[in-house]
Amino acid sequence: MTFDAPTIDYAGLSPIITMTAGLVLLVLVAVFDGVKRTAPAIALLTLATTAGLLIWQWDADTPLLNGSLQIDGLAVVFSLLVVISAAAAVLLTIGDPSEHQAGRPDFLALLMASVLGMVMLTMASNLITFFIALELFSIPLYALCGTNLRKRESLEAGLKYLIIGSVGSATLLYGMALIYGASAATDFTGIASGLTEGGLISDSLTLVGVGMIAVGLAFKISIAPFHQWTPDVYQGAPTPVTAFMSAATKLAAFAVFIRFFLVALEPMAAEWDVILAALATISILVGNVGAIAQSSLKRMLGYSGVAQAGYMLAGIVVATQQGVDALTFYLAAYLAMNMAAFAAIVIHERQSGFSDSIESLRGIGRSNPLVAWPLTIAMLALAGLPPTAGFIGKLYLFQALVEADWTWLGVMIAIGTMISLVYYMRVVATIWMSPASDASLQVPSGEPGVDLDSPRRWYLVLPAILGSAAAIFFGIIPQPLVEFAQHAGNALAALIS
Amino acid sequence: MAIEWYLVLSAMLFSIGFAGVLVRRNPVVVLLCLELMLSGGALAMLSFSRLHGDGDGQVFVLMVLVVAAAEVVVGLGLVVAMFRRRIPLDVDEMKELRG
Amino acid sequence: MLSAILWTPLAFGLISLLAPRRFAPWVAGTGTLITLVLAAIVAIGFDSSQGLQYVVDVTWIPGLGINYSLGIDGISVFLVLLTALAWVPAVAFTASRGTDRAGLFYFMLLAGQTATLGAFLAQDLLLFVLFFDLMIVPFYFLFGIWGSDREGVTAGSATVKMIVFTLIGSLLMLVGAVAVGVIAADGGQLTFNMAELAEKGLPSGSQNWIFWFFAAAFLVKMPAFPLHGWMPDAYRAAPLPALAVFSAVLSKVGAYGFLKVVLPIMPDAVELFQTTMLIIALGSIIYGSVMAFTKIDLRLILGFSSVAQLGFITLGIFALDSTGANGALLQMINHGLVVVPAFLIVALIAERTGSEDIGPMGGLAKKAPVFAVIFLIVTMGTLAIPGSANFIGEFYILNGVFNTDVAIAIIASSGVALAAFYALRMYQRTMHNPLPEGSDSREISVRDGLMIVPIVLIMIVLAFCPQIILGDTRDSVDATVAVSKEAAQ
Repeated sequence: MTFDAPTIDYAGLSPIITMTAGLVLLVLVAVFDGVKRTAPAIALLTLATTAGLLIWQWDADTPLLNGSLQIDGLAVVFSLLVVISAAAAVLLTIGDPSEHQAGRPDFLALLMASVLGMVMLTMASNLITFFIALELFSIPLYALCGTNLRKRESLEAGLKYLIIGSVGSATLLYGMALIYGASAATDFTGIASGLTEGGLISDSLTLVGVGMIAVGLAFKISIAPFHQWTPDVYQGAPTPVTAFMSAATKLAAFAVFIRFFLVALEPMAAEWDVILAALATISILVGNVGAIAQSSLKRMLGYSGVAQAGYMLAGIVVATQQGVDALTFYLAAYLAMNMAAFAAIVIHERQSGFSDSIESLRGIGRSNPLVAWPLTIAMLALAGLPPTAGFIGKLYLFQALVEADWTWLGVMIAIGTMISLVYYMRVVATIWMSPASDASLQVPSGEPGVDLDSPRRWYLVLPAILGSAAAIFFGIIPQPLVEFAQHAGNALAALIS
Repeated sequence: MAIEWYLVLSAMLFSIGFAGVLVRRNPVVVLLCLELMLSGGALAMLSFSRLHGDGDGQVFVLMVLVVAAAEVVVGLGLVVAMFRRRIPLDVDEMKELRG
Repeated sequence: MLSAILWTPLAFGLISLLAPRRFAPWVAGTGTLITLVLAAIVAIGFDSSQGLQYVVDVTWIPGLGINYSLGIDGISVFLVLLTALAWVPAVAFTASRGTDRAGLFYFMLLAGQTATLGAFLAQDLLLFVLFFDLMIVPFYFLFGIWGSDREGVTAGSATVKMIVFTLIGSLLMLVGAVAVGVIAADGGQLTFNMAELAEKGLPSGSQNWIFWFFAAAFLVKMPAFPLHGWMPDAYRAAPLPALAVFSAVLSKVGAYGFLKVVLPIMPDAVELFQTTMLIIALGSIIYGSVMAFTKIDLRLILGFSSVAQLGFITLGIFALDSTGANGALLQMINHGLVVVPAFLIVALIAERTGSEDIGPMGGLAKKAPVFAVIFLIVTMGTLAIPGSANFIGEFYILNGVFNTDVAIAIIASSGVALAAFYALRMYQRTMHNPLPEGSDSREISVRDGLMIVPIVLIMIVLAFCPQIILGDTRDSVDATVAVSKEAAQ
């Protein structure tokens, strides 16, 4: 009896192999005291190598490991964005108190594990790899949220995220079981053909399965009404972790959302698009209205993330290649704005002894330009004002929606943006248009974790400046980013009718 | 046996687990209920695998067991960390973050 | 050439942001003067028989079908010149008084100029929308940071209200603009070039809802009567030089948008909603005039007067009559020319009396005859006395409306009379009667005079020779109106 070993495409697998190697190296480094200080360098090196390998595989379009993974334009583009987000998080983590408590290499090892899961998730083309990759990126994140051991909120955030996230995963699993039952296949293209041939497209159990998978993913990307954990976890977790979570989880989850819904469930598009449109609308409204009442900056960004996820979900509703292009562009722009905003928040927090309230930003336009300018640009970009990439992103989404006859959803996005102006502009107004806060808000420098010199740390300033520069640059010269986004859409072109 | 019974059982497991997550206050019990939900999904997967005569579902379930174990480990780790710091172990009482 | 006009203000604004504080006013001033010279060259070289000139057309975002496409025609040539002209005294005034954080101020002010010029020069619909949205951002910062708080209303909250109102309209316009391009393309090549879109045309049903999305944006900008809620607080909070250009030029972009975008691309909808728009315009005229008459804050008098004047302009445009439309365009220039000196005079009055309320004022003409004469000319312009260019503009507008709907024309004429009431009241209360305690009437200084007198002189010249403007604009305006009139047949 012969054994047909599957062919292993090492070139295509190289990003995953590199991430795993980096992860293992970091775990080993944690054991030996002498080398602990090199951990961030190792992490950044791993991420840089992975990014390089992904760029090397730019034009790949091959199934890996017998069809369980697929490396193509979509995977490469989204993985690159995840890697950039992780690199920013590594930089922001240097000097963070939670990192000291949890141990720097362990922290970074967990981060690398999560990135590994995300990279796998962008490539997943089989239900099994979908589930494993999803869990691989989520479970380290639960732990990372809880790493600030001295703060009660951090541990609560970790446990809360774990419980709610696991409910999502279990729901996802059950939905997968139903889909598997309906189509007798676990790989995405097999599911598409299995559903059409089996004639079970309109069967109620299949629809329940699709719904449950959508719910499971909705938990991850914080789509309302499954977003309840978002404000609490964003506020409680250490800020570099929040920075990573807010952009990267959306990136990875949307990648698999695109691949699953537009490849595996493509025959059923007419059934699920209205449901997703409804979810998007609810997210837009709940997220924007919820953000208005917040006085904590991180909670506000959590609610605003819910609304932004609603805008992004509209790109999937249209089920066209242009929708995927628009969604990718918007996610890339969102990554830039997010990086700028959270880097500025980290600098501000370290300087002021961890006050997270919007009030503490009073008057820093004058006193602290390195925090004020990135935050302002990020707020303007999130609101979708020119000349930022946020404006072009919204424009791109509108175009995709109108072309596919979903204009009313475009109007919903416009309405959501109008509401969002209130809270984004309020942050800008507090920064620039209020007198500076009085000295009583300053924490004496004896307290641990306070770093009055934080605006001068290059590793904090670099993500802030890069993020703001990208947000403005791609608002003025968007074509490179448009082509980058279209590379992802092209990968699916053959599979979407 | 017809597959419907297995599916009904798996749905019951899932629902009982879900209800438990919502209702119970002790985090360890909540983790237990999460395991119940995952088991419900796994059972459904197994029954469909039997229906189609396909090995995929069974392989999937083996993976799910590993993942479930990892999840519980992290969860219990967080619970222990909270216990050591004398934080009350009551899911409903996690009010620090309410806002 | 047009790119040079467009980007010079922003370039100089960036330099003044980064330059040492002492040089910032000089850099900014130079930037505005260079822009003015370039605009003047273009205006003088403009040949009205040739349609769109100095065209720039570069692909910008092929993935989205948007081109960097500029051009100047009879409608925009004098509006561009007005923009270039209006910023000069604003910068000069700020430079002479000195300001806090000068580099940032000039950067924002000049960025605003680039955005406004962009709105006038853009020939690609989405580029126009981009500049339209961009216009409000620097002014948000200008009003919010350098503005003044009033009872109960901080500068910050007034300006947030302004930007929210404006962006509600602008976002609807963005959706509408994307829809125009997509529907007109109808599966073919996607383009947002305004001339091509006008040729392709849209089905009537789409035109109707898209019309209102664009109208929302333009009506908020002007502002027109039902959507003017942001105006009082914003006008009271704003710093006066920035308010001068804001009221003079940015409000015109709304009217320009109707002429340039709505009339050519949505002619059927224009014809259908003509009466509605005329009634809205009438509402602005009456409401604005009545409110101007009852206010005692000089800024609000001028602000509500602007509402009324923009109402007249809208009336002229939607009369769908050649005379009316030409009058509307002439009025756009006239009103801009009147408003800039008017707000600077308010600033001078505030310096002399310590307040901007006309209640306790009086007698400023006593030792300042030149100042009084300048202010009188501006006031006469505001009320459109026969002999001023504003009179000719309003006459043309009313003539055009008379051809369309006699009743509306008659009611609108009462607006002219009301203008006389509030303008003369404003002048008399500030300039005549005895001088109260605490006020210091002094003659206008040469330096201040140099900022205001040139524009006043232009007003006088235009009063004698409106043909300077009407000659060049007639062909373009008539062509625009003809498209809609055809639909009406």
